[in-house]
Amino acid sequence: MRRLPVYLLLDTSGSMRGERIEAVKNGLQVLVSKLRQDPFALESVWISIITFDREVKQLLPLTALESLQLPEITTPESGPTNMGAALELLCTKLDNEVIKGNDTQKGDWRPLLFLMTDGKPSDLAAFREVVPKIKNKNLAALVACAAGAEAQDSFLKELTDTVVHLDTADSSTLMSFFKWVSASIGTGNKSVGTTEEIQLPPPPAEVHVII
Amino acid sequence: MSNIITVTAQDGKSYQYVDNGDPMQGGMKDVYFSPDKSYVVAFFRDKQDFNSKERLNNIVNTFRDRIFNQPGGEYWKDLFCWPNNIVERDGKTGIIVPVYQKKFFFTKGYNPGAAQIVSIAGKEKEGRWFASPQFRSRQFKLHLDESELGDWFKFCLICIKIARAVRRMHAAGLAHSDLSYKNVLIDPITGSAAIIDIDGLVVPGKFPPDVIGTPDFIAPEVMATKHLPKEDPARKLPSIATDRHALAVMIYMYLLYRHPLRGGKIHDTDAQRDEELSMGAKALFIEHPTDTSNRPRLDQVKPTHLPWADVNKIPYTVCGPYLKELFEKAFIDGLHNPSLRPTADEWEQALIKTVDLLQPCQNKNCDQKWFVFDNTTSPCCPFCNTPYRGQLPVLNLYWSRKPGSFTPENHRLMVYHNQYLYPWHVNRNIYPNERLTDQQKKPVGYFVFHNNKWQLVNQTLTSLKDVTEGKDIPINSMVELTDNKQLLLSQEEGGRLVVVQLVNN
Repeated sequence: MRRLPVYLLLDTSGSMRGERIEAVKNGLQVLVSKLRQDPFALESVWISIITFDREVKQLLPLTALESLQLPEITTPESGPTNMGAALELLCTKLDNEVIKGNDTQKGDWRPLLFLMTDGKPSDLAAFREVVPKIKNKNLAALVACAAGAEAQDSFLKELTDTVVHLDTADSSTLMSFFKWVSASIGTGNKSVGTTEEIQLPPPPAEVHVII
Repeated sequence: MSNIITVTAQDGKSYQYVDNGDPMQGGMKDVYFSPDKSYVVAFFRDKQDFNSKERLNNIVNTFRDRIFNQPGGEYWKDLFCWPNNIVERDGKTGIIVPVYQKKFFFTKGYNPGAAQIVSIAGKEKEGRWFASPQFRSRQFKLHLDESELGDWFKFCLICIKIARAVRRMHAAGLAHSDLSYKNVLIDPITGSAAIIDIDGLVVPGKFPPDVIGTPDFIAPEVMATKHLPKEDPARKLPSIATDRHALAVMIYMYLLYRHPLRGGKIHDTDAQRDEELSMGAKALFIEHPTDTSNRPRLDQVKPTHLPWADVNKIPYTVCGPYLKELFEKAFIDGLHNPSLRPTADEWEQALIKTVDLLQPCQNKNCDQKWFVFDNTTSPCCPFCNTPYRGQLPVLNLYWSRKPGSFTPENHRLMVYHNQYLYPWHVNRNIYPNERLTDQQKKPVGYFVFHNNKWQLVNQTLTSLKDVTEGKDIPINSMVELTDNKQLLLSQEEGGRLVVVQLVNN
């Protein structure tokens, strides 16, 4: 049975403190609960959570949906947003955790990546260096979410064509984003169109997908 | 904030729905309940073009009439969740669909331990929950509560219902085009099934399909040609023939909890391409008798998928002779040759005959509880390996082509304690399907193991005769089943003769 690795890269820098990080935690709870109500997801989805602020940490190694426990997420008072370093760590994890197909073993599905930030990469040089590497990782989908007015889409657009912009980063908007993520993960189980493959479900109304 | 919105259909009927701003979202539609929850209004998110509207029009009118407004049409109301009207609002097209029956929603869902973490009570029983072994494995944390799982008999009934519904659509010249466990709700507790999402129906030559199907159920020829443009003559799109593939896969999965084409063979190291080949051009039955290259690799399957993933332990032949033949037609002969695939009607007949071969397992703790008699002198439950102990009567059915001579029908009826005999066993002109009258649904006799003897008690058979002893068996009397005894169940046209075989062990 192939696994579907899902990597969540979450901004935990100082600006996320307070309502935003609480909204993210709630969102993760909802995401996991929703996926646990989906038999398709329970057969294949494995989740990993990487957070980035001054430090970059893999809070949850790639874990089967049925057995994972959400880690405690904390934010520092202030400090940089090391998104580049987070993507660098992601590359290592993709290499180590995702099973590649070979002549004797079926590999995992191509991984999904959801990245969420309310700012921009502080380590811009590292960020620009890692972008081509990520693009080479053959991800099935790479969705970047820019939450709130201060979040800058332009950097994220260097990383992926699918940038979701949330005008506000309040709890209900973030929640709708996480619901959308859970629906996106479930698309593998949906009908496939005759024209082209459906990749993602339509985003919730208050979200703008920037192509 | 909830608003009740009233919409008027083209025929002037008005409908209401509750808009709380957060509709349930399907693949293509936003779904709102009516205030009394007796129907839903499902709006397509995308604008429907002329052709799509025309199709919907036909579905709610012409095709609907063709199936429901016929003698026996009532029967289909339980098997299809058929849209019955079209509404428009703000440029969006919506359809009115009856709500699913209560039994198609989980009451308990997960086992009590798991239900504390997350609950699926109240959620739709989509087939995937029951087609995967992990949700019935106690080793898997989020397994379903035992009370939701039904037994093997119920799954045979579910397959009969699905085959029958598909047969009916095909008889009306319609292809569903997207049969999958998402579009068929099942209830293992009562052995029911209902086909939903009927708005994508394909009419050959008239309405082409919008979807190629759902992964796991897409026919190999559709998968193998999906890269071609829609206009290319070599491109294969969903049709009645591809529905037959999906139906076969579904039946196989509900009886054996594994996919017939998902085995260990590797076609490409890229997961996506491997998937496309193993479900498409290079599709190969995991239980192919001579080409064993796609057998599931037990060192690579999850422990929660055992024993079902082990095709040596539980081969498809446990489903009995009638289904064995059809599985071979579907997954060996017809896999890449659509015209050889069994029809829905063949599946229905074979499943009905298979039900007559079922025996209750004597192991009280057996999860499947029923198994198909394997035609040996030492029958044994293939699921829990409990041998059957005691005398086992088997009735071989014969019919009379011309008076006085009887030919075997390749149809047997296994007898168990407290089993009923029905009109369709008695007379070969009666089929257990939607055309049965209420009278024909009533049992005509029953079998009991009484005072150490197997007996058939006659309840309503007017011309039951013990041919061996040469005497009539009147209503409210019984006849003992002994080896080689011949019983004429009915002396009417189509009446069957049974020859009793007693298996001793």
